[in-house]
Order: sequence, then structure tokens, then C-alpha cells
Amino acid sequence: METNLAPLLPSAEVVLTALSVLLLDLFIRKDEKGLLVWISLIGLALAGGMALFLWGSHEGAFQDSILLDDFALFFTELFLGAAAITILSSVHYVRETNIHEGEFYALVLLSTFGMILMAAANDLILFFLGLETMSIGVYILTGMWRERSQASEAAMKYFLIGAFATGFLLYGIALIYGAAGSTHLGRIASALGQTKSHGSIILSAGVFLLFVGLAFKVAAVPFHFWVPDVYDGAPTPVSAFMAVAVKAAAFAGWARIFLYQLSPLQSEWTLPLKALAILTMTVGNLLAISQSSVKRMLAYSSIAHAGYLLIALVAGGESGGQALLFYLLSYAAMTFGAFGVLIALKEGENDHEAYSDFAGLGFKRPFLGMAMSLFMLSLAGFPPLAGFTGKFYLFRSAVVAGHIDLAIIGALNSLLSVVYYLRVIVMMYMEEGGAEGKPFARAPYLYLAIAIAVLGTVYLGVLPAPALDLSRISFISLH
Amino acid sequence: MAPLNYYLVLSAIIFAIGVAGVVIRRNFIVILLSIELMLNAVNLTFIAFARYLGSMEGQVIVFFVMTVAAAEAVVGLAIIISIFRHRRSLDPREMQLLKW
Amino acid sequence: MTDHVLTYMTFFPLAGMVVVLLLPRERHDLVRWASALFTLPPLLLAVWLYRNFDPVNPGLQFVEKAAWIPAYNINYFVAVDGISISMVLLTALLTFLCIFASWGIDKGVKGYFALFLLLDTGMMGVFVALDFFLFYIFWEVMLLPMYFLIGIWGGPRREYAAIKFFLYTLFGSVLMLLAILALYFSSEPHTFDMTQLIAQSSRYGTTPLHFWPFDHLRWGFQHVVWMALFIGFAIKIPAFPFHTWLPDAHVEAPTAISVILAGILLKMGAYGILRINYPMLPEATADLAYYFLGALGTWNIIYGALCAMAQKDFKKLVAYSSVSHMGYVMLGMASFTPQGISGAVLQMFNHGTITGMLFLLVGVIYDRAHHRDIDGFGGLAAVMPVYTGVSVLAFFASMGLPGLSGFISEVLVLLGAWQKYPLLSALGASGVILTAGYLLWTIQRVYLGATNEKYKAMPEINGRELFTLVPLGIIVIILGVYPNALLDLLRASLDQLNQLVIPHLS
Repeated sequence: METNLAPLLPSAEVVLTALSVLLLDLFIRKDEKGLLVWISLIGLALAGGMALFLWGSHEGAFQDSILLDDFALFFTELFLGAAAITILSSVHYVRETNIHEGEFYALVLLSTFGMILMAAANDLILFFLGLETMSIGVYILTGMWRERSQASEAAMKYFLIGAFATGFLLYGIALIYGAAGSTHLGRIASALGQTKSHGSIILSAGVFLLFVGLAFKVAAVPFHFWVPDVYDGAPTPVSAFMAVAVKAAAFAGWARIFLYQLSPLQSEWTLPLKALAILTMTVGNLLAISQSSVKRMLAYSSIAHAGYLLIALVAGGESGGQALLFYLLSYAAMTFGAFGVLIALKEGENDHEAYSDFAGLGFKRPFLGMAMSLFMLSLAGFPPLAGFTGKFYLFRSAVVAGHIDLAIIGALNSLLSVVYYLRVIVMMYMEEGGAEGKPFARAPYLYLAIAIAVLGTVYLGVLPAPALDLSRISFISLH
Repeated sequence: MAPLNYYLVLSAIIFAIGVAGVVIRRNFIVILLSIELMLNAVNLTFIAFARYLGSMEGQVIVFFVMTVAAAEAVVGLAIIISIFRHRRSLDPREMQLLKW
Repeated sequence: MTDHVLTYMTFFPLAGMVVVLLLPRERHDLVRWASALFTLPPLLLAVWLYRNFDPVNPGLQFVEKAAWIPAYNINYFVAVDGISISMVLLTALLTFLCIFASWGIDKGVKGYFALFLLLDTGMMGVFVALDFFLFYIFWEVMLLPMYFLIGIWGGPRREYAAIKFFLYTLFGSVLMLLAILALYFSSEPHTFDMTQLIAQSSRYGTTPLHFWPFDHLRWGFQHVVWMALFIGFAIKIPAFPFHTWLPDAHVEAPTAISVILAGILLKMGAYGILRINYPMLPEATADLAYYFLGALGTWNIIYGALCAMAQKDFKKLVAYSSVSHMGYVMLGMASFTPQGISGAVLQMFNHGTITGMLFLLVGVIYDRAHHRDIDGFGGLAAVMPVYTGVSVLAFFASMGLPGLSGFISEVLVLLGAWQKYPLLSALGASGVILTAGYLLWTIQRVYLGATNEKYKAMPEINGRELFTLVPLGIIVIILGVYPNALLDLLRASLDQLNQLVIPHLS
């Protein structure tokens, strides 16, 4: 039997890079570790080039249990970009905190590999393997700043809850396997088409457990309580990585499994999903208001944004899928930016994560102030920034699918969110005192990452047409 | 041969015991063991279904799950060691640095 | 050049913002002059626009259209007609003058002027945009710099004022966004193009919705959308009871920003109603205009005047006089008569120039005395004769003295309203008396009487300040004597607008 290995190229390249970084780490001196950054970035760029090369090919490997269609490639590029930005913004952070550089980058790359697998998996077991590869990497990354007690605590919480959720997810897969006779998504779908009644209770239970497991991963309310603690305790670049890439990976899986293969069951899960979306955005926004730490605020805001993204899943169809993919792009740009500014505020042992630490930043570090204002406004959904365009298409997809109530609740929620996003801007420009922030000379890579995020936020807002087309084409390739 | 339902009910009970253990026990190591219990319940389900359906797929999956569970246990124990170094305690109630 | 005149007018200030941001931080004068330089071309183009505008043509002129997000039928679509031309002229003029009124800002000069130029782009964009999506974006873009300008360069309670302004306006924009989406999905094919939405206005039904409370009110889809848009615009006008942000924002904002707020931002509410509610939702307009524009406008006139009378703070007095004067605009709009509606649009322009002058005048003495307590002055006429002369001109114009511009527009409004709602017109006319009351009383307390010892040596108004006031004064006099200079431009479009609604009046 001939195996087509081409679809594995990008992920193989990522693993290869990770292993080279790990190996090389053993042989180079501490002041030469900057080399590892470059190797990681080059590796990611190469993988990105390969993914680009494969664009439109729609190839499968191992009897189609891995499908590298445009959907998977879209997410591959997103994860590679996220990994690159994470590495750029953590270069200075890991040096300040004595985290082992080589291992840190290698783990970021390995988690990225897991994510790519999740987006490309067309078999529930492969999806599970990707999820675990990603999760285990991120558990370690969370606790990697070992000198800090909070980091271990965060890692413990994340690990326990992650493993707990995995149990549910896996049980769900087992039940679906029993009911459909296979874990291959294509065969599950055809089994669904043939016998509607056979084993339907087991199937429903399986789908429900899968649903719960994924809800844990995307941090939907009421499965969200770990998020603020974990994001708060983890090193800030890792928090950003979790907020963006881990969430995107879970949504990629959700879209492929629920929006596509299990879409015959749509009527069964629309209502719970809708409740989940409403609850998630409302609770996320309400709790974000009362925070005194910007990092925790961003954690709650990421919960609220998961709620917005769930709107797209409820809406489904072409417009929902397109809105989901586009919003993930926009969300990635602005969230990385916001966490990046937070990293720039850190000085040695002092994290400077409270609102009061932002006081006067707009005048002390004009670039950081301006960038942070952009990110906050974009997260709050102001035109003409990425967040507005993204939300606009999300709400539009809800209306197209007939969920007008969802669109209205979403709009009111984004109004609510303005309260806490604006507080950061008020602090930066209307108060005095607070932290100094790193100057450019001390953190050029970080500034580069923030600048990329600024460009992305503005570009996706002002000229969304190309990215929207891309999102649509990618989503359609699922069918 | 015992019918499929016996296995399913047994594994559901084991899974429930695991869930209960995670929720109510007050020691990280016991919680970790409870999670392993959940995964093993899932393994039992897979085997039972594989036998019932006459397909090898389920049995292969169990090997994957066991490997992953082992990897998870390694990471979990490492984190437990790291937390014990800071706190000298493994009681989740004492994790108050980050408010829940 | 002339093909893209509106684009140039809109984006010149944005280019100016980029230039200002690149200038060195310490060179304050350079930043100021650069800002003036970049607001001058829009003003010159506005003069050109005024001379080349075809007053006979009721349709859109100087149209520019380009695809922007083709997948959703979103276009870059700008143009002017009789409804917007006066506002475009006013915006170009006031922003240029306000650069000079901002000369005294010495904290964060670069940031101030950069934001000011961004604000300019946003305002101009709102008045020229004819694509709903574009309109909304400009509307929001304008909100942000305003928030910062009040919040950073404002008075002691600036944060409170800025946030209040922001939240009020944002609440309105969310309603507006929902209304925009509702209209978008009702059109076929889905479009944000205002002209197409207007052409399809018959699609937006008026059959009562069958759920509470709309069934009770006999409101259809059109009425609900109308109300959502109306609340968004009423907050900007500001109509009672959405006006409470205004006194705070005006009092805390720096002088030039108060001028912009009163002179241009308040007009956007009325402009939006004319541009969007009237032609797109004519049946709902016919049903609801009496209550929500006519009666509410009259109440605004009287309520604003009474509040103004009770103020001790000079700036707050001017702020409440704005509430009162915008009432005339609403009343005139609601009459659907040629006089009433052109009076309303003329009143929008005149209020911009007159209130602009009043805020500038308050700024002049505030810069010298550092307080705005009306009773704390007295006898300024003897110390500052030129200043007093200009002030009296502005006060009389605001009062509606014949021969000055305020008179013409108020009379047109009242005449127009008389034909439809005699009672409201009579009540509105009584507002004129109240206005005269509080303005004359203020003149007496500030300028006449015994000279306050403290201000014996108050320096006379200087050349820069005079430069900001004189052009406005001249316009006030010209439009008072020859209002057709502006009215001619408006008439054709406004008549056409009236004709869209009148058939639906019961």
C-alpha cells in the first residue's frame, strides 16, 4: 500500500525543528542561546512555506485519517504564526525569569505540532492524540517558571482540569465508536446517514461527552473557572499562546467535528450550544469588569470572546464558518498584542499587571500606549479595527441563520465590555504614576511582535476582503 | 459470554468513581489516580466495543490511550513535585495564591 | 483634483495627523502650524465646492464610488447634496478656526493636534458618507478622539465627563448598528448603499408586529428600526431625556473642543435623522415625527432655556442654550413644510456659527480669569470694549435679533411649524422670549454694571482670538441679511425629501 506522506510535511518540519532545538540546546553556551530563537523561527517559516505550497491540494494520508485540506492549512498557518509570535515575545521574558530557553521553544513547537494534528485530524483518535500532544506541552509551559509558586499552582490546576476534561472527551469518543463502529469521522458520518435509530442513546451520550470535553478546552462557561487562575499564574507569553492558539485549535476541532461531520445531528446540539454561547459571553464580560489585574481581565475577556466565537458555531453554515475563521484571525492579532504590552511592562521580579501599573504609560512609552489603546479598542469592537469587522461578521452570520436574539445579546455584550477595556486607556492617558515599561532597546523582539500585532489589527479591520475570502475558501474545503 | 451491556455498565461505574474521586478527594496524588481510573474505564469501554463489533480498531486505540496516560502521569507527577517543593503540602485547599 | 474633492477634504486631515505624529515632540509651534496647514485645503476646497455646487439639482453631486468589501456589497461611496452641503462647509470652517483656538494648549501638544485632525476626518466622513457601513465607521472613528480630547485636555472632572459622553454615544451607536443590520437584511440584494436602501423603502413593512409592546402601539418593523435610529441620533442632538451628557462634556472640554462639540457633533444627530430616517423609513417618520420630533423639540426649547436661566457657570449656560436651540431644529424638521425643514437645516448651520462664537468668547475670559462664574465678572465693557462688542453681536444673534442669522432660521422654523402644529409653534415662540431673558440677563451681569476691581487690568482680546471670531461674525451678519446665500443650496434636496414623507402623512 502506498502512503502519501506529503500532507505530513509541515507538521514533520515543526517536530524536526523542535528536536533540533532540544539537541542543540545541550551543546551551546548560555550566551549563545539566541541562536535557538532563529532556528525555531526559520523552522516555522519553512513549515509555513510548505503549507503554502500544499494550498489547494486537498490531500489525505493514512486512509484519510489526516486530511490536509485548505481548512487544515488555514489553521496550520495560524498556529505557525501564533508560535512565531509567542517565541518572539518570550525571548526577553525567559531570560529575565531564568526559564530554560531551549526547552521552552521546543515545547512551544511541539504543542504547535499537536495543534496542527488537531486541525488536520479526520479521525477522533488522531484528534485526541493531537489534543494531548498540545495539552501536555502547554501544561509544562505553564509551570515552567519554577521559581514562582503561582506558576506551579497554575500548572497543577491546568493539568488536573485538562486531564479531567480529557477523560470526558475520551469517554465520548469511546461511546461514539461503539455506536458508529468507527472513530473515522467520514465513516461515522456515513453510519449516521444509514441507521438513525441504532444505538442512538449511546451516540447521543457520546456526542454530549465530546461536547463537554471541548467546552472545557475552549473555556466556555460553566467550564471556565480554571481560566483566570491559569492565565494569571502562567508566564505571560504562555498565557497569550493559550488564549490564542489552544483556543483556536479547540475551535478547529469543533468546527470539523460538529459543523461538518456531525452536522446531521445539528438540531440536537443547537439549543445547548446557544445557551452556552450566551452564558459564556455574559459571564465572561461581567466578571471581567470587577478585576483589578489586567492579566486576569484579559483572561476573562478571552472567555467572553470564546462566547462570541460560539455564536459562529451556533450559526453554522458557510457564513458561520467564515465568521469563525476570520474572527480567530482578528482575535489572534489583538490578543497577542495586548499580552505583548503586558510583557513589556514587566521589570525583573515585578510583573506590573495591575491596572494602576498602566497609569501614565501613554506618555512614558507612546508606542506601547498607542498600541495598547488599539488592542483594547479592537477587543471592544470599534471600527475600523479587526475586532469590529470580526464581530460584525459573527453577528451577521447569527442573523443569517435566524438567531437574531443571539446577535442582539452579542451586541449588548460588546457594549458591556467597553467598560473594562476603556479603563486601561483611561489609566494610560488620564492618570499618573505606574510602571515604566521596557524601552525598545531592551526588548527589540518583543516590540517586533507588538508591531506585527498592530499591523494585523489595523489591516484586518480596514481591508478585510482578502482575509474574508480566505476564510470562506478554507471553510468550504471541508465539504 | 457476558453481554455487552455488563461491560458498559461496569465501565460507566468505574468512570463515575473516578469522577467522584477527582471532585471530592483532597490529595493531588489521589486525584491523579482517579483520573487514571477514568481513563481505564474508557479503555474497558473500547475493548468491550471492539469485541462486540469484531473490529481491531478499538484494541489499538487502547494502546494509544495507555501511552498518553503514561505521558500525562509523568507530567502530572513532575508538577506535583514542583508544587511540593514550594508548599510542602499537596492539599488543593491550600492553593490560595491564585484565587479560584 | 476635482474628481475626488470630497475624498481630499475628508482625508487631508488624516494625512496631517500622520505628519504631525512624525514631527519632533518639542517643536510646539511647528505642530500647530502644520495642523493649520492641513486644515486649510479642506476649507479652500469647501469654498470651491460652494461655488460649484448646483443648487437646482436635488440629487447627489460630486459622487465617488469604489468597491471596498465586494463580497458584502460594501462600497466606498461619498457624495454631497443639499442636506449635507451646509454641514460640510461648516465642518471645514470650524475645524480650521478651532486649530487657532487651540493655540493655547501646551500639554501634550502633538497628541492633541493629532487627535484633533483625526476627529476632523471622522466628522467630514460622517457628512459625506453614503454607504451605511462607511457612515457607521466614521461615526465611531469620530467618537474616539473626542473621548481623548475631553478626557486628557479637559477640566477637573474630565474623566467623568469623557466616560459619560462615551457611554451615551456608544449606547446610541449599538442601537444604530442593529438598525443598520436590520435594514441590510431587509434589502434585496443585501446592501449598505443608502441610495438603494432609500429606493427600497417600501420593503420595510409597517404591519404591526404581533408581540408586546409593539402590537399595542401598532408599530411595525419600520417603526422599531426608526426608534432605534432615532435614539442613536437623539443622544447626539441631544434631545431630552438623553441630554445629560452634554453639560458635563461641554463644561469639561477645552474651548476648541466645546466649539466642535456644539458646532458640529450636535448636528450629526439631526443630520442623521434627515439623511436616514426620513427617506428610508418615510411611513414611520410620518407616524412618529409629531411626538418624537415636534413635541419633544418644543419641550427641548423650553426646558433648555429654563435650565440655561438657572446656570451660574457661563459655559454651562451656553451648553443648555444649545439644548434649547437644537429644539428648533427638531421642531422645524417635524413640520414637513418647505419653510420648516429649510429653516431647520439653516438653524443647524447658524447654531454652529453662533454657539461656536459663544464658546470661543467664554474661552477668552476663562483664559484670563480662570473661572467661569457669571456673577464673578461685571463691567467688562469698560475694560474690554472690543471683546464686549463681539460678544454682544453673538448674544444678539443667539437671541434671534432681526438682521442676524439666528432670526431667519428661527422665524422659518416657527412659520413652518405654524402651518401644521399651531400650538407647538406658539410654545416654541415663547422659548424665544425665555432665550432673550437669560441672554440679556447674562449680558447685564458680565459686561455691564460696576467694573469688578479684580479685572481692572484684564488685557483686551488679542489678534489670534479675534481671528477665530471675526469670520464667524461676518457669516452671522451675511446670513442675517441675505440668507439665500445658503438657502438656495438646500432647497431642491429638502423639497424632494419632504415629498418622500408627505404622501404618508395622515
